Amino acid sequence: MNVPENLAKSSLLALVIFWTIISSVHFDQNVLLYVMLSFIPVCISVTIVILGTICPFYWSAKGNDVTNKQVFKLCFPYYTCIAFGLCSYGIVVSNYDLHFSAFCLSAFITTNQSWLWFAKEKTRIDDRI
Amino acid sequence: MKHIAIIIASLLFSILFYNKSIGLNLSMFSLITIVILVIYNSEKFKSKTLLLHAFAYALSAIFVFVNHSSLAIIANCAAFFTLVGTVSQSSTSIYVQWFNGIYTTVAGFFHRNFETNEAAQKVDWKKDVDYAHWAKLIGIPLIFSIVFILLYKNGNPIFNDLISKINFDFINIQWVLFTVLGYFLFSNILNPVVVEPATSKDLQTTNELQQTATFSVEKLKKEKQLGTTLLALLNVLLAFYIVTDLMSLSSIETSKASELSNHVHSGINTLIASIIIAIGIILYFFRGNLNFYAENRILKNIAFSWICLNVILIVLIAIKNHIYITSFGLTYKRIGVHIYIVLTLIGLITTFLKVLKIKNLAFLFRRNTQIAFVVLLLCSTINWDAIITTYNLKNADDYDIDYLINLSNRNAIILYELRDDIEISQHNKNRIETKYQNHILNLSQQKWQELSYETVTNAHVNNPKTH
Repeated sequence: MNVPENLAKSSLLALVIFWTIISSVHFDQNVLLYVMLSFIPVCISVTIVILGTICPFYWSAKGNDVTNKQVFKLCFPYYTCIAFGLCSYGIVVSNYDLHFSAFCLSAFITTNQSWLWFAKEKTRIDDRI
Repeated sequence: MKHIAIIIASLLFSILFYNKSIGLNLSMFSLITIVILVIYNSEKFKSKTLLLHAFAYALSAIFVFVNHSSLAIIANCAAFFTLVGTVSQSSTSIYVQWFNGIYTTVAGFFHRNFETNEAAQKVDWKKDVDYAHWAKLIGIPLIFSIVFILLYKNGNPIFNDLISKINFDFINIQWVLFTVLGYFLFSNILNPVVVEPATSKDLQTTNELQQTATFSVEKLKKEKQLGTTLLALLNVLLAFYIVTDLMSLSSIETSKASELSNHVHSGINTLIASIIIAIGIILYFFRGNLNFYAENRILKNIAFSWICLNVILIVLIAIKNHIYITSFGLTYKRIGVHIYIVLTLIGLITTFLKVLKIKNLAFLFRRNTQIAFVVLLLCSTINWDAIITTYNLKNADDYDIDYLINLSNRNAIILYELRDDIEISQHNKNRIETKYQNHILNLSQQKWQELSYETVTNAHVNNPKTH
């Protein structure tokens, strides 16, 4: 599993989605400065979420002769439905606050894409199959 | 062609929902969804189950427009997920259809991306989509249309007026992002996916209970003895409770709201505990081989009598709730108690059928969830606010006017019409008038996407020019 590469790609994706949504409502000329500054908290959030909620599924499957694709097929539907429920709930509870909605949307899309990137990585079991 | 359809649908999605509240738009979205699903899954739509679900979805869409209530919106969303789930696999249980429907809607794109063989797709993609051709097909007519519109504008004042009225101000980055969301949604539901292995496992699970290889007469005899003793004792206890409850029912004083409320609530708590334990115990004893044991007649009869006693308990609670409603009027909680009673009754009937026809747990879950879904759809067809207000003002011995005024605006017109027929303070009359005026103002400010049946029928009140 190439965790660092996944984290880097996911952080970048989250950053782009988050700022695209924010900029669509009020565009600030100094936005580039904020974007660069916000990369650090975005990176930290993405790392915590991916290491805490996605990687354990793949790590636990390592010793059981299960491929990443099988892990994805088995666990991803439940994960994404729960994530969708939590994000929707968060958006409604926050009374559709722009920043929180952008955060939830970027978190939802990024985690889903991160699952996909992990699933598409070739494992040793894949080679054996 | 598919992409063009999705793009058109996503543009409609933005026109219908961007910066709008729910109304006619949700009903129209439902119809667009049905049309798109039928066009791209025409083979699957020959199944009766799918047609039934499409009909239920269309019906829920009509009631969103007619009732304009939160319950109708919830029912419409549930019907949407059920329909999408049924398109992905029509033979599964309804709860698996919900799961497939939600999964397809929220993550169909990621699932398909995962399943596609990248190399194969690259070849197919080039073969299927000729970008240059599509660019010409869309770009050239668009450019020429714009040029000719500009030319004709100067030639005819009426044409010029019409063209000037077209306003694209609503299009901004946010609108475009919203359209992308619509594209994502429609592309997801157009190719429904299934959750594996949940779907295949559900398809393999029948409703029939099978006798297992561990069939032991000795063991079953002991289990039957335990079950008979336990259920007989619980039968006696419940019968005794019902007798005492009947006695207390005759002594209820209908003038005291607190006493009635206490009776209903304690009854409901007893009912919840009793029914859950009853179904749990019955399911435990009839979970396996005891169903096939030749001498299980007595145990079955005792279980049936316990179910019957629980039904009597339900009827008693329904009577208490009815007395409560007649004396102090309808409220959402009191209606909820009646709905809960109906669902409990259905739960007991399905448990009875499970034991009688030797069915498994899957049968119970499948039937109960199906019935719960139907009950949700039926409840969404009723304008509860209007019923509560009309009933309380016309039939109830006593009612809480504060409660009625604090309900949603859907009872504003009824309250306003009946305000002079009821004895209330001037302060409350003023509150009713304010509520009515606010409601009429809201209706008159609605965009066409937010229209409801109420707006259409009260158009003469909303638009003073028509007087």
